[in-house]
Amino acid sequence: MKLCIFVNDFKTVTDTVERLSAEKLGLIFIQNGVFHATIKENGKSSHLLEKPASFYVLAEDLATRGLTDADVDKRVKIVNYGDVVDLIFNEYEKIIWL
Amino acid sequence: MGTLTIGCFASLVGSKSLDFSLKLAKAALDKGHKVNIWLSSNATIMAKANQKHLKDYSHSEKYVRELLERGVEICECEACALARGIQKAETVEGVEWSAMHWYLAKIYNSDRVVHIGGE
Repeated sequence: MKLCIFVNDFKTVTDTVERLSAEKLGLIFIQNGVFHATIKENGKSSHLLEKPASFYVLAEDLATRGLTDADVDKRVKIVNYGDVVDLIFNEYEKIIWL
Repeated sequence: MGTLTIGCFASLVGSKSLDFSLKLAKAALDKGHKVNIWLSSNATIMAKANQKHLKDYSHSEKYVRELLERGVEICECEACALARGIQKAETVEGVEWSAMHWYLAKIYNSDRVVHIGGE
């Protein structure tokens, strides 16, 4: 199954995401979830980025938090709403919102 | 092109998930897809008419009207709306009122479904 997860928070959802796996997995960071793509706690980036998945972050939610492309981890692709629609329809089948 | 159904249970102000659902709906329309939106729980506030657009405040009425004009079917959960004191006469014209079966039917006939949970 091709599974796409919308991660819209920073702290509260990680244990669920950690348990999820799929033939093809995509994590789309939105709202406060964008901090998974940018933050470094004690020098370490988010452990979600260790998962065998593709990572995306919503440009608009980065901007509203004063974050720039330079802040984003290299493993994460910056996308806009149109890209998210294409991901939903073309790259993944099932969608989860956490 | 496909059909996307968005179910939104999040409130208008605070969680920003409702804003996200409206923007995603617009983006999908722009890409030529058909879109349905189901509003339940606190999201039923979204279809209330006469919202005053305050600066830096989430405001959905403009979006709702735009989406309706572009052919999006938007439906409110009647029970959730009434439970919150929202009467049909107070909602934006064109927003349907129904029960969960409307949402299930749309889900069944959609290519993709995004179910956006509440707070």
